[in-house]
Order: sequence, then C-alpha cells, then structure tokens
Amino acid sequence: MPRSRISEEFPHGPLHAMLAVAVLVTIYPVLWVFSIAFSGKQSLAIADLPPTPTAGDRLRAVVPWPEKLSVSNFTSVMSDQPFARWMLNSALVAIFTTLLGVFLACTAAYAFSRFKFPGRRVGMMAFLVSQMFPGTLMLIPLYIIIVQLLGLGSSRIGLIIVYATTSIPFSVWMLKGYFDTIPKELEEAAVIEGASAGKIFWRIVLPLAKPAVAITALFSFMTAWNEFILAATFMDKENMYTAPVGLRFFVGGFSQQWGYFAAGSIIVSIPVVLLFLYLQKYLVSGLTAGGVKG
Amino acid sequence: MPAPPAHRLRFLIAVALGAVLGAVLLRGFVSDASRQVADEAQERQAVVTLQALTSLVRRAGGEGDAVRSAVAAWQSRTPSAPQARVFRADGIRLEASTAPDDAGDRAAPRRLRREEKPLYDRSQRIAAAVQTNREEQQARKPEIEVAPAGARLSLAGPLEKNGAVVGIVEIETAPLPLPKPAGWSGFLLALIAPIAVFGGLAFLLGEKRLPLLAAAVVCVAASLSWMGRAAVSELAAQQQRAAEQVAERVRDQATVTQAVATAQVLPGAAAAPGSWDVDDFRQPLGLLTPDGSVNPQRLAQAVDTAARELRRTLLGAGALALALLLLVGLGAFNLIGRSLRRHRQAYLYIAPAILGMVVLVFFPFTYGVTLSFTDSNLYNTGKAISDVWIGLRNYADILGDFAFIKRGDGGSFVNYLNFYWTLLFTIIWTVCNVTIGVVSGLILALVLNTRALALRPIYRVVLILPWAMPNYITALIWKGMFHQQFGVINQVIQLFGFPAVSWFDRPASSFLTALATNGWLSFPFMMVVSLGALQSIPADLYEAARVDGASRLQQFKAITLPSLRPALVPAVIISVVWTFNMFNIIYLVTGGEPGSSTEILVTQAYKFAFERYRYGYAAAYSTVIFGILLVYGSIQNRVSRATEA
Repeated sequence: MPRSRISEEFPHGPLHAMLAVAVLVTIYPVLWVFSIAFSGKQSLAIADLPPTPTAGDRLRAVVPWPEKLSVSNFTSVMSDQPFARWMLNSALVAIFTTLLGVFLACTAAYAFSRFKFPGRRVGMMAFLVSQMFPGTLMLIPLYIIIVQLLGLGSSRIGLIIVYATTSIPFSVWMLKGYFDTIPKELEEAAVIEGASAGKIFWRIVLPLAKPAVAITALFSFMTAWNEFILAATFMDKENMYTAPVGLRFFVGGFSQQWGYFAAGSIIVSIPVVLLFLYLQKYLVSGLTAGGVKG
Repeated sequence: MPAPPAHRLRFLIAVALGAVLGAVLLRGFVSDASRQVADEAQERQAVVTLQALTSLVRRAGGEGDAVRSAVAAWQSRTPSAPQARVFRADGIRLEASTAPDDAGDRAAPRRLRREEKPLYDRSQRIAAAVQTNREEQQARKPEIEVAPAGARLSLAGPLEKNGAVVGIVEIETAPLPLPKPAGWSGFLLALIAPIAVFGGLAFLLGEKRLPLLAAAVVCVAASLSWMGRAAVSELAAQQQRAAEQVAERVRDQATVTQAVATAQVLPGAAAAPGSWDVDDFRQPLGLLTPDGSVNPQRLAQAVDTAARELRRTLLGAGALALALLLLVGLGAFNLIGRSLRRHRQAYLYIAPAILGMVVLVFFPFTYGVTLSFTDSNLYNTGKAISDVWIGLRNYADILGDFAFIKRGDGGSFVNYLNFYWTLLFTIIWTVCNVTIGVVSGLILALVLNTRALALRPIYRVVLILPWAMPNYITALIWKGMFHQQFGVINQVIQLFGFPAVSWFDRPASSFLTALATNGWLSFPFMMVVSLGALQSIPADLYEAARVDGASRLQQFKAITLPSLRPALVPAVIISVVWTFNMFNIIYLVTGGEPGSSTEILVTQAYKFAFERYRYGYAAAYSTVIFGILLVYGSIQNRVSRATEA
C-alpha cells in the first residue's frame, strides 16, 4: 500500500492540534448563536456578569452554553412575532423566483447553445457585462420601476420579478455550458422522427440537462432566500418583510432582541446550510468555470 | 426570379410612418409647452392675488377686527379667489376667513380645530422655509406653497410682522379654466400633405431609388418644419396673452386693495403692484414694470428663450422622424424583419429572458448612468432630467478631489468621504481579505489533504460551515460578538486582564472587526478549491520526486504549487470581485463607523443615495465603480488568456 508523502514525515498530532484550533474558531460563532437562541432571553451576553466579575464569571460568559436551557425564543419567535409570516414570504418569493428564473434561463440558454442567429454573441456579452453592474446603480431606477411605475412596492410579485431577472445571466451561462455538452445527434435524430422543436426541447434536452437545471434552480433559490438589500428597499410594510429583513429588524437600529434573532437565524439557516453541504462540489466547479471564462 | 423593386411603395410607407411619428411627437411637445405656459400664467395670477391680499392684511395690522373687515371687503371684490383665510401661528388661531364652512359657530376668530392640523403644518413648513432661506442666503425652499386642489389651486404664503413670520395667508382660486386643446387641422395637414405630395412625386419619378429618397426627405422635413414654425409663433402669441392676463390681474388687484385701504382707512402706503409678481421664493420675476404693465423687453427675452427651447426639442423630434423614414425607406426594417422571420424560433426562445433583462437590468442601468449626469436629489425628484442636468460635474467632483487629507485647526485629518480614501480603503480591504483567505484556505487544505488522517470528513464539513451560512446572518452574529459591553470577544480580552475595547470607535479596530468577519466566512471557499486541486495531483509525481531525492520544499515548489495554480487563479479572480463588492459585511458589521472611515465603495455609494439622498452623485459614484470593475474584468480576461496559452 503506497503511503502518503506527508504522513511519512509529519506526525498527526500537530495536524490535529491545528485543525482543532481551526474548528474551534469556525464553530464558536455557531455555538454562540445556539446558546443565545436556547437561553430564553433577549440579551446578547451568554451569562450576566456581577458588578465586579471574577475570572470565573468571565469564563462562564464565554463558554457557549446557556445558563438555563429554554426553547421559549423559538416558540415565541414563531407565534408572538410575525416571523412565521416573514418565513412564508421568503419561501413564496424563493420558490416562485426559482420557477420563473429557471424557465427564463433554460429557454434562453437553449437558444444561445443551439441556434445561430444575429445578436447571439452580443447577447451573451451583454449578459456577462451585466454581472458587473453595481447594485447601488440599479437600486434607484429599480425602485422607480417596481414601486412607482408598476406599484409593486411591498409585494412579493415585485421581488420575484426582480430576483428572477437578475439571476438570469449567471444561470444562462451555467446552463449554456451544460447544453453545449449534450450531443446534437440526439436532436437531429428526433427531427428525422418528426418531433417538433418544442417537443425536442421539453422531452429530450431538458431531461438530459436535469443535473444542471437542478443546480441552477437551487442556486436561484438560495440567492432569493438570502437576499437582503433589495428586499429591505422594496418591502416597507412590516408584514411583507422577508426573513432576512425581519432578522435585521430584530437587532438593527435600537432594537436589541438578540434571542429572537438567534432563534430566527437558526431556523432560516438550517435549510440553506443543508442544501449547501449537499451541493457544494457542483457550486465550486460552476463558479470557477465561470471565472475562467469571464 | 427576383421580385420587382418596390421602392415607391416602401418609400411611401416610410414617408407615412415618418410623418406620423414626427407629427405625433411635435403635437405632444407643443401641447406640453402650451400647457406649461397656461399653468404658469394661472399660477402667477394666483400668486399676485395672494400677495395683494397679504399686503392688505399686513397694512391692517396682521390681526384683529381690522384684518377681518379688510379681508371681507377684499373678498367681495375678488371673485377670482372665492375663499381666503388668515392664520396666526402664535395662539394657533384662525384670524380671518371667508370660507363658506367657517360661518356660524365656526366663524373666525377661533382656535384651530384638531382636524385642521394640515393648515397648522403648512404654516410651520412655510415659516421654516423662510427661516432656512434667510439663514442660507439663498432660495432653496419654496416660501409660497402652491398645491392643486381638484381643478383649483390652493396657495399659501407667509405673513410677516417686523421681519418675523407670524402666520400664513391662504387663498383658494376659482376652478381654473381647462386648457383648450390645440386644433387638429394643422396636425392633419402635416400628416396628409407630405404623403399626398410624395405620392404625386413618386408617380412622376418612377422606380428610382435616390430621387425617391430625396423627395421623401424633403416632403417630411418641409411639412414638419412648417408645423414647428407655426407652433413656435403660436406659443409666442400665447405667452403674450398670458403676460397681459397677469398684468390685468395686477391692475385689478391694485384697484381692489386701493379701494379697500381707503374705505377702511388703513395706514401705510401701497407697495408697487408690479412687485406682487414673484416666484415661489418671493423673488420678483421682473416680467412686469413696477406699476404693473407688461415689460416688453423682458417679455421678448422670455419668449425668445422659450422659443429656442421648443425649437431644440422639435429639431430632435424631427431628426427622429427622419431617422425612421431613412430606416424604413432604405430597407433596414426589411432586413430586420427578414432576420426575425428566419430565426423566429431562436428569438422566440430568448424573448422572455431578453424582455426581462431589458426592462429590469439594462434599462435601469441606462437610467442610472443618465442620472449620474444630473444633480438629482431628494428636493428635486419631481423635476425632468433636463432641468437638473449638470453634465460631468458629479464626475469632476468625485474624481477631481484629491484632497483626502485636510488641514484644519487641531492638525490634519482624513476626509473619509473622499473618493480616493474610500478607493484606497477598498483596495486594502480586498487585498487583506483575499490574502487571508488564500493563506488560511491553502494551509487548511494542505493539512486536510494528509492521507489517513483520522476524522477528516468531520473536519471538512465543520470547516465548510461558514460558507454555507447566509452572510448577512454571519455579519449580524459578529456584530453582536464585537459588542463593547456584552460581546464575547471583549469578555475574552478582559479574561486575560486587558481593558475592553470599543471596537467601532477607531478606524483601525473597526476595520479589524470587518476583516475578522469576512475572513471567517471566506476561507472555506479557498480551502475547498485548493483541496480539490490537491486531490487531483497524482501521487506518483511525489513518488518520482522522492526517488530523485527532492526535498519536501522542492516537491512543494515543483509539484504542488504549479498544480494548484489553474484552480487558484480563477478562484482568486472571482473572490477579488466578491470582496470588492462585499456590501453586507461592511454595511451590517461596521456600518462605516466611525464617521464613514470604513466604508468600501459600494456601501459609500449606497449611503450617498439612501442616507444623504444625493441620487445623481450616488449614480455617478456607482458608474465609476462599474468602470473599475470593467477595467479589472478586461485585465483579468487578458491575464487568464495569457496563462492558458
């Protein structure tokens, strides 16, 4: 059995020590959130300090374990606070963004991949350059269009339209790359069999591109689920907040409801963290491939 | 067989389209301009009335029965403004009123009622505006409020006593006459004449392309210029009439106030009636002579300016119409149409995406760039773009101001709002973060790449967590941990006997908090990328190197680093852009504290737009950021192409 080059020369002990430090640094903020969330209080201190704290008191305030375990933050953030409503807004926005965005991206990417037509190169370049438009430049005009012209301020539809279109360029580039790898012969065979263009797209190409479509969908979902600035700008009414805006609402400005924030963060993060861990290897290849081309 | 040329038909369609577009645009602009003249005249007349009444109220002492009887007498002779009210801010009292509602037990004088708070607010606004303008020595806030109330205008202006604003005088005009729309005959003539004339000419000329083109252009241009000329002279006549109306109103009010003043025996001399014709800031417009007749020189000037403006707009519209004519006439549309038909399927597939992108990405971008050439801000959002156009001044202000270190009393200090400071800070921020990310990610990847290391999958999953968490949550968590009093980090510092640090009070420590947060969330990306690259290096390479007697360092340099490069270069490139644009971390962790010293370019642009409300300036700022990214993108493109070659 071939033995590794490093293990021959490096004892595992120091490596474990290094990794342990890294793990501690990584996991501490997460544990901190958990201990605040399960403390049943709104304070951002893990333990209350006496007026003249000893080293032991301070140590207690650093160890990420609540003084008293309680799930009251979770129950009241979901029932007393409008957080369940905000989660619903986020979920609806993210789901419909995904559906709309993937539909738009799939059709466009297919055309870019399969057809030769005037404007094809310009279109792809324009999509690429649009990725560099600074968000702050777009915010005011978008606000004017969505809120003042279309009257879609504080509405989920407005957010869905904006998220879906802004996610198009990235999705198109990713999907086009995948469509390019699907052999054309399949479609040519289908044409000979007499299948219509629509049928070829829906019945042959899309099923073959399922993995890429799935990644694009999940990417769109996560973007919409995590987006903060646009939602904060468009959603004025408190009951139309999305989860990110709501979480900021708990601890932004003068409000200091850290318990609600922590519990809400955990609820919001769990689905995306799981999704992410499941998908990370695709994301890395997709992003770096885009980087090389870009 | 090629189809016979159909130049005549095509040019006829082109002429029709050009004439329609030109005529519609012209009519639109002209009726806009004429409505503006009419509105302005109505407003000026109303302001004159208001000023006349105000002068009367002031001469009557500003309060008491004298004012009430003066207002009543004035009202009986002024049917053009059917109600007037005088409000005194001291005592929140309605001093006089001729409004039909204010009769019986509601008759003035009385305290203001709760539901009449808008009147009180109005008086506060006006008093504040007068105060501000006086302090700033400029006309920035309107001192006379003109608000449409249905078909009427409701005006309010300050009532002053000894130089201080003590209340307001408010009038409401009679319903304004609807502006009469311009006649259709000219419009139809401009539409039909060129088509008819061109039809005749085409019949004579036959299927010759160039003569047809010339004839088409001449026909449309001639008809449009005739229509434009007529419109300009019509506008001048309208302005003349408007000026006379205003002068008429001034003379009328002069007689009314004179009569009331004599009947009531009011002290003081009458002001020159011509001075009643003022703008919103109570600055005289100067279009009338002091005695209230039209000042022909100034009127000619005003007419001239308006005519020049209208002519310029009309020229633009005409050019547009001719461009359409040429496009259609020369067959560009045929070409586009043919291409659309031939690639119908492709265009059908991309149409929805393109439509969305155009409406919500490219149009906003263009609009934003246009905004960057204006002085748009909170106070002038209602104005047209051309009214706030300032050319390149925003860019000059942003890029031309190199003085980011200012000398004041008490030594020199950094002007944190300066663009170059923010740029420098953004570069430092990006370089630090990417360096931290690459170094820590690479080290962890090397360690994790050790074969047969126990617990490796668990380490890997835990270390990837920060990347998986939504970054706004990460930012808020770290903000909490850096809290000065309750934050965990200060507890640790105090545990070791040091005093607590107030992190957000100094630029350096504030920067550290953002750096720590971003470092925490960005190393996993580099780690995963490097780990992937490391695992793809065949073990035989190291085997062979060892056989050749290469040391570990030599192996690292000769094998590991070169194999990492193709994966790391794009990862670094993309993470530079991410970090450069890392809005959430800066905005949520430091918030730019202290005093905007830790803003990066994108957060600074956001604050200019949404906290300082300088939309035009913020747009220019964002456009500069876009330029920087574009330059970076093209350099990076060249570099990565070079590395691939």
